[in-house]
Amino acid sequence: MNAPALPADVLEQLKTIVGEQRVKTDHDSLVTWGVDWTKHYEPRPSVIVFPASTEEVQAIVKLANTCQIPVIPSGGRTGLSAGAVAANGEIVISMDRMNKVLSFLHADRLVRVQAGVITEQLQQYAEQQGLYYPVDFAAAGSSQIGGNIGTNAGGIKVIHYGMTREWVLGLTVVTGKGDILHLNKGMIKNATGYALHQLFIGSEGTLGIVTEAEIKLTRQPQDLKVLVLSVPDFAAVMPILHAFQQRIDLTAFEFFNDTALQKIMAAGHAARPFETESPLYVLLEFEGRFEAVVDDAMSIFEHCMEQGWILDGVMSQSQSQAQALWHLREGISETIAPFTPYKNDISVLITHVPAFIADINAIVAANYPDFEVCWFGHIGDGNLHLNILKPANLSKDEFFEKCKVVNQHVFETVQKYNGSISAEHGVGMTKKDYLGYTRDAVEISYMRELKKVFDPQGIMNPGKVFDL
Amino acid sequence: MKVLVAVKHVVDYNIKPRVKPDGSDVDIAGVKMGINPFDEIAVEEAIRLKERGVATEVVAVTIGKANSQDTLRHALAMGVDKAVLIQTDVEVQPLAVAKLLKSLVEREQPQLIILGKQAIDDDLGQTGQMLAALINAGQGTFASVIDVKAGEIEVTREIDGGTDVVALKLPAVVTTDLRLNEPRFIKLPNLMMAKKKPIETINAADLGLDISPRLKQLKAADPEPRKPGIKVANVAELVEKLRLAEVL
Repeated sequence: MNAPALPADVLEQLKTIVGEQRVKTDHDSLVTWGVDWTKHYEPRPSVIVFPASTEEVQAIVKLANTCQIPVIPSGGRTGLSAGAVAANGEIVISMDRMNKVLSFLHADRLVRVQAGVITEQLQQYAEQQGLYYPVDFAAAGSSQIGGNIGTNAGGIKVIHYGMTREWVLGLTVVTGKGDILHLNKGMIKNATGYALHQLFIGSEGTLGIVTEAEIKLTRQPQDLKVLVLSVPDFAAVMPILHAFQQRIDLTAFEFFNDTALQKIMAAGHAARPFETESPLYVLLEFEGRFEAVVDDAMSIFEHCMEQGWILDGVMSQSQSQAQALWHLREGISETIAPFTPYKNDISVLITHVPAFIADINAIVAANYPDFEVCWFGHIGDGNLHLNILKPANLSKDEFFEKCKVVNQHVFETVQKYNGSISAEHGVGMTKKDYLGYTRDAVEISYMRELKKVFDPQGIMNPGKVFDL
Repeated sequence: MKVLVAVKHVVDYNIKPRVKPDGSDVDIAGVKMGINPFDEIAVEEAIRLKERGVATEVVAVTIGKANSQDTLRHALAMGVDKAVLIQTDVEVQPLAVAKLLKSLVEREQPQLIILGKQAIDDDLGQTGQMLAALINAGQGTFASVIDVKAGEIEVTREIDGGTDVVALKLPAVVTTDLRLNEPRFIKLPNLMMAKKKPIETINAADLGLDISPRLKQLKAADPEPRKPGIKVANVAELVEKLRLAEVL
């Protein structure tokens, strides 16, 4: 790969802004920082810069405006929609050096961080304060807060704690125009017009770059109990959710099918939690701080068994058992990665989940009876990850070609139920062509107009979410 | 073959214990408690012996306050047949525990007694050995494999630098090490059934044994905090620092 040439004077000016050592144009750096977890596109940035302050970011964005060179904000690069991929000679602004926790206001339970702070680092900081940052997912050890904000990251605790959006009370951003805005400043109550910070959450770097954030923390959950239940069919999953939710605040409600469990066991990553086999499993979690709650859970379990919704189940008796049970669910993505899965991240209202799943199952069964399908996901939020595994006898290209046809059917079904083609991974480049299944043309035109306000020259992460 | 398993109700091992402000002891008021992990391994092993048809009955026993029942319920939910609580509010030390267990061994006549190699609260690691001496039975400590043969058992022991295999005549005492097995997850239906099962309670005072503490705890203290590390600029400086620290 040849790096697209950047005018020498631009390179010099970048070096003046961030320092000689903080500008990288070598091949290894370009292919490392120019890509995320998606492998669909060849990374071709022209330069990677590592600013250390909001002012440096501003100077870079202003320079990019002057030279008309596009800019790609880059965080932990764990995205699954190619939202941080630089494939056209862009300037990549890596937030890696902006990784400091700036301040903590105890009375407000509010922490101010730079955008390059790693999610897990924030979780650990919260723990040191005796508090909790509840947005959690498999990539938390690498992903950065800025990226979480860019995609409005969700994860495994959304059913109780909501998405990243719930926890962001303020942002410092550099707009595509090059202005620095301090938005909402950490306030819970602020009824003074448009909540601009909300626009930046989930905007995937198309409006500007988030450089700092004020994040709300909460109390630590205690005595988390994890249940894994074996379930006879999809129709039983929602009644189980309703039965538990009626009396207990669940902190997670996940599901996976037996194909997923078989893969995890075959990889030696975990053992079957109990001998009763079933097509589906539900993992749920709640705070068992009081004996009465645990007793409640047991009587609900008993009720569900009597109804035939649950065949069997186990409950963690210690934190290490809870972790072992969680691994059955959290280890799936990593375990099936070698099968080159075709992945989807779709959501519908919980009300529609049973009908939706039945439709999708019918599509897959009709078109691809031989394909192995791993179902898992945050079913308590109506969010499903449909993973179709590549049969060994198909080439990658043939397989993805066939999957494209499934895509069409799946997204039509999503549209039928007024759902989302991307629940928590963002749109980036991989879902861009399908945006119309979730957002209508008028709505997208408003988004385009909004982008022009913040980024009149169209230099911020172009080609992502929608085309101009 | 009847198996007796001794279990202890201890502070949950995920809890970071705190020392009381007066330094007299560790503060366990309101702290989450659970089964001693080594004893959980003992229960698992006994149940596996029963599932293999080697053991006919598994009896779990604990010694302590009334709330130790929770740990017996845990053992019942895992699958033991019978649970006995020897109740006392006195702080029982290994010798006292061994004496109390001996009285139960005399009554129950088990062929095999399995205990954790130590309890994670006081980490004393003496009870199994003392019990074996008191009942004049063989002992296989720190077990990673238990192999039952006709009239005897072979126990593979975890020792420094390797393993050691001993053959013991029955009845025998075995203490468990971490590698012996991985305890099962508890099924909810079993957990519910365990709540309804009876637990036999024996008042320790009625056994007429001297169980008064022989050891006196002088104080409890936090471990020395770790000294902060330093960053060095280059190898030469690293070598110099290591020399100063007399490591090189």
